[in-house]
Amino acid sequence: MTPSSRMWKLVMSVFRKRVLSTRMMIMLPILFLFIPGMAWGFSDPNIQLPADQIPETAAESMFLASIGIVFAGTMAAVLLAHDGISKDRQSGVLEVRLSQPMPRWRQSMILVIGNWASIAVPVTVLMLISMWLVGYRSDMWISAGDSIVFVLAAWLVLLWYTIFALLASSLAKEQGSAIAFSIGLWFLFTLLWVLFTTLIAALNGVPVGESKDASYSVFEGRLDLLSPNGVYHHLLETRLEDVNRGVSPTGAVLAALAWTFFPLLWFTRRIKGLVP
Amino acid sequence: MADKEVMQFSSVKFRHKVPAPKWFNPFKKQHGAGIAELDFTLQSGKIVGLVGTNGAGKTTLLRMMSGVLPIESGNVTANGTILSSQELRRRVGFMPEHVRWSGHESVEQTLVEFALLRGCSKDSAIEVLNVIGLKNRASSPLDSLSQGMRQRLSLGIALLGTPDVLVLDEPFNGLDPVAIDAFKRLLQSLARKGIAIVISSHHLFELDQLIDTLALLHRGQLVAHGTTVSIQEKLGFKQLAEVCLDSKLPKKLMNGLEVLEHSSTDKTHHMILQSVPNNLLKEIVESGIGVITWREIQPSLIELLCAATGLDRQSIGMNVENSAWLPMRKLQEEEE
Repeated sequence: MTPSSRMWKLVMSVFRKRVLSTRMMIMLPILFLFIPGMAWGFSDPNIQLPADQIPETAAESMFLASIGIVFAGTMAAVLLAHDGISKDRQSGVLEVRLSQPMPRWRQSMILVIGNWASIAVPVTVLMLISMWLVGYRSDMWISAGDSIVFVLAAWLVLLWYTIFALLASSLAKEQGSAIAFSIGLWFLFTLLWVLFTTLIAALNGVPVGESKDASYSVFEGRLDLLSPNGVYHHLLETRLEDVNRGVSPTGAVLAALAWTFFPLLWFTRRIKGLVP
Repeated sequence: MADKEVMQFSSVKFRHKVPAPKWFNPFKKQHGAGIAELDFTLQSGKIVGLVGTNGAGKTTLLRMMSGVLPIESGNVTANGTILSSQELRRRVGFMPEHVRWSGHESVEQTLVEFALLRGCSKDSAIEVLNVIGLKNRASSPLDSLSQGMRQRLSLGIALLGTPDVLVLDEPFNGLDPVAIDAFKRLLQSLARKGIAIVISSHHLFELDQLIDTLALLHRGQLVAHGTTVSIQEKLGFKQLAEVCLDSKLPKKLMNGLEVLEHSSTDKTHHMILQSVPNNLLKEIVESGIGVITWREIQPSLIELLCAATGLDRQSIGMNVENSAWLPMRKLQEEEE
């Protein structure tokens, strides 16, 4: 058996453990309510949204429904992966793992891919259901190109949160600190980011109260590159028409690559030098 | 099995990083306790007992030997080749102290998972199940295992891939006397197959019966290493014998004997002798004197440790070392 095939077998082992875990059983209904539930709601032909926004295409409905992934998907990713290392550290199993000859970078990849796949697979299934629901309810069917970008973008944002959670798990000495760190980060990017953006915009003299002000929109768009959720939305916006938030599709892709590469590099280096 | 060197540790060093927060740098760390430039050779088929007080660096040394902790300076060689940390991990099987195996996975699934991490086949995991005596519990979930079974599982994982060296940190913890006996026999059979074994344990009695050589560790330094007899000689311990006879020794046999203690009753004569001549017992029997008991007195491991470190029993037992105590005279760098 080659080192790569051994690695993939171990990825599948992590995936199975996570997907069949009790916490996944608890989170699945929540994910179902948030992802297809949002798609069901936003594809209602009589929907009334603030600022007279009415989704005109299936991609727009899916864009609005992506809030389900931002709230429930990323939270589930964090909850699944937060004890990826800290639990083993507490039980002493980490010491046994670190004494194995498989290169540490492979061990880190097993953790990342295994944990990420365990949330990415159910979310993808729920997204496909959502796309069907949008088409069924509004008779607007999403194009293959749009659906691929939407799924890929969801995979990326889930990957980022999985890496954050694993990093927190590797930094924390026990599980309480690991979950506090992960949830804190999720809280910052998901709930506090609007406040942060508004504050920075106000300090820079950008008219904050005017929601349709172009300068605020551009400022917010650029600041969103510093947030994984913001980059996720930038990637989705590449498939929407008449959206200009000051970031080109290339800029959004480059930001996505940076959000993938640097945390992954950090995590791999962390595992390489990890001590029990 | 010939005494073949399987691994040599030359001037290996590691020091823990301990938090030393400052108001302007709350994450500041400084060097703490560790292992200071230690030389150590492991021979195939030999069991080495690692003894030291709490904080002496036993676990740190075992973790270094198994590639869990990085070796900051010095090197590890096998057959004259310097080993990378990955190669070191491939050659060493490590059983840490206190592994609480838990979860719904079965014993067999866990062994297979670690067999993949170790780069060996599923069949070898099944073989190991037989060796550690968990074949009947192969499908039991980890949550249902007793402490002794968990220890066996840890040993099984250390045995995967037939390592050259087996490093065991407190392997007798949580085992009942029957299990300890079985464990010892298992280790002896592994040693007979040529595996070099390093054991750290506070169960000194169990260790004393099992080991071929002893390594005394104190404040991160190896203060003595060799057979118990050679260490005794090196540390100036003389051979002692406790003798009980049914009558007094004649003068010609008493000549040249060093008697440390002597007590007599009507029927018995009890003595503690030092530096006993090899033929004394034979001569006593030939002279018609009845020997009631004859027992060689070995210094305990604690006495050896005390002699090697120059500390008394109380201070060696109660004081936990800290970084400030480390005699770092060998280190090239300045203390922070």
